[in-house]
Amino acid sequence: MNIVDQLEALLFVSDAPVPVETLAMALGGTEGQVEQGIEILEARLEGRGAVRLTKIAGGYQLSTKPEHAELVANYLKPQRQKLSRSLMEVLAIVAYRQPLTVTDIETVRGVQSDYSVKALQERRLIAEVGRKQAPGRPVLYGTTDQFLHQFNLNDLSQLPAIEPDDNRVLAIVVDTLSPNEKNESI
Amino acid sequence: MDIGGKPIDLNMAPRATPERHEPTHIAALGVVAPPPIQVQTPTFDGSLGLLFQCVRDHKVDLMDVPLAPICEAYFLYLLDSPSVVLDEAAAALIALAYLLERKAWALLPVVEPEPELEEPVELPSPTVRQYDAAIEALQLWQEERSKSYFRSFESGPDPYEVPYTLKNVSPSDLALAFERVLRRAKPDSIEPLGAARKSLAEQMGIVLKRIAREWLSLDVLVPEDVTRSEAVYWFLALLELVRLGQIGVRLTEGDVEFARAA
Repeated sequence: MNIVDQLEALLFVSDAPVPVETLAMALGGTEGQVEQGIEILEARLEGRGAVRLTKIAGGYQLSTKPEHAELVANYLKPQRQKLSRSLMEVLAIVAYRQPLTVTDIETVRGVQSDYSVKALQERRLIAEVGRKQAPGRPVLYGTTDQFLHQFNLNDLSQLPAIEPDDNRVLAIVVDTLSPNEKNESI
Repeated sequence: MDIGGKPIDLNMAPRATPERHEPTHIAALGVVAPPPIQVQTPTFDGSLGLLFQCVRDHKVDLMDVPLAPICEAYFLYLLDSPSVVLDEAAAALIALAYLLERKAWALLPVVEPEPELEEPVELPSPTVRQYDAAIEALQLWQEERSKSYFRSFESGPDPYEVPYTLKNVSPSDLALAFERVLRRAKPDSIEPLGAARKSLAEQMGIVLKRIAREWLSLDVLVPEDVTRSEAVYWFLALLELVRLGQIGVRLTEGDVEFARAA
């Protein structure tokens, strides 16, 4: 059995993103071999079938292709709730300035934010990552792998740099989208 | 200095000379002019009334005008004048009091203005508005992500998913039912500080023991003799159990009913 088939088998049964190191350990090969195998598998899946390989939250995972989204959604009927503006605001601040305390968030927003922090914690998008060495040792928050997964990010370095009045941010994001999605967003 | 024709050497810069004349009505001090005590200094030459006006209007710097000789001239005016007009003397006294007060204030050390901070307080950077582009980016990615389905994230409970459905029950239905219970609840008795409080988890246990498969309205479910705070505990525990999927909720004939989930 070649490494590409083995990778496909492992990824098929995985219910979370699998890092390259884990795959290499499972296959008894090197990380380089795994990366080569992943490239081949990715190309193979793109060319056929309804499933594709997605690099997400620091690993690889199989997912359905976007063209089948409507069909799958009708079947699974997921009840997704969009995050409110205030939750998105807090989430963006945490993502960019982590680790940080609730007070740090409130300093940027200028409004009380403990409810939003709690709501994001319940959604497992942010979590406690430590305590600040300051009076009262306030809790420090950071984003989770769930955050990366829910926002289709592989790691935090993919977040666009924040510069005032810079419209390039949107351009960077649009570049990361597939051609169909680009047309939709434009 | 010359008062009433008698020369007086005050060895001071100003010369003050009272002169006899009919009382003059001027507006500076009201209706009566002070006596005609003439003041002569390097920066001012004129009557006491004029000095008062100039100082009041900031036309003369009072620091350059010694007041002691003027006061002395005023005393001499009072002593030497055969017929002092009381209104004029009072007007002069007011003028002198005003000048003395102004000078006293001018002689006090000036309070230094508060120094400005060397480093102005900086606004947090980036400000919340500067995250707008990032938020837009996250929304786009989330939209993109919603088109892909993964093995576990859709099969297990998604944190984005509401793990329960309220069907036809709206928050206002729940609020109305709760209001009915609160209306009949007794007021709370005063508890000593530090008394042990019941946790919501404990209350949830109580609710689970009470609730059965049959549908019961909130009125029936919550005991008759509850206090207001106990009613709040009951309601919160019910909501939490509904959220956890342990209890079902429905609306029947305008009333909210609860039952243990199947």
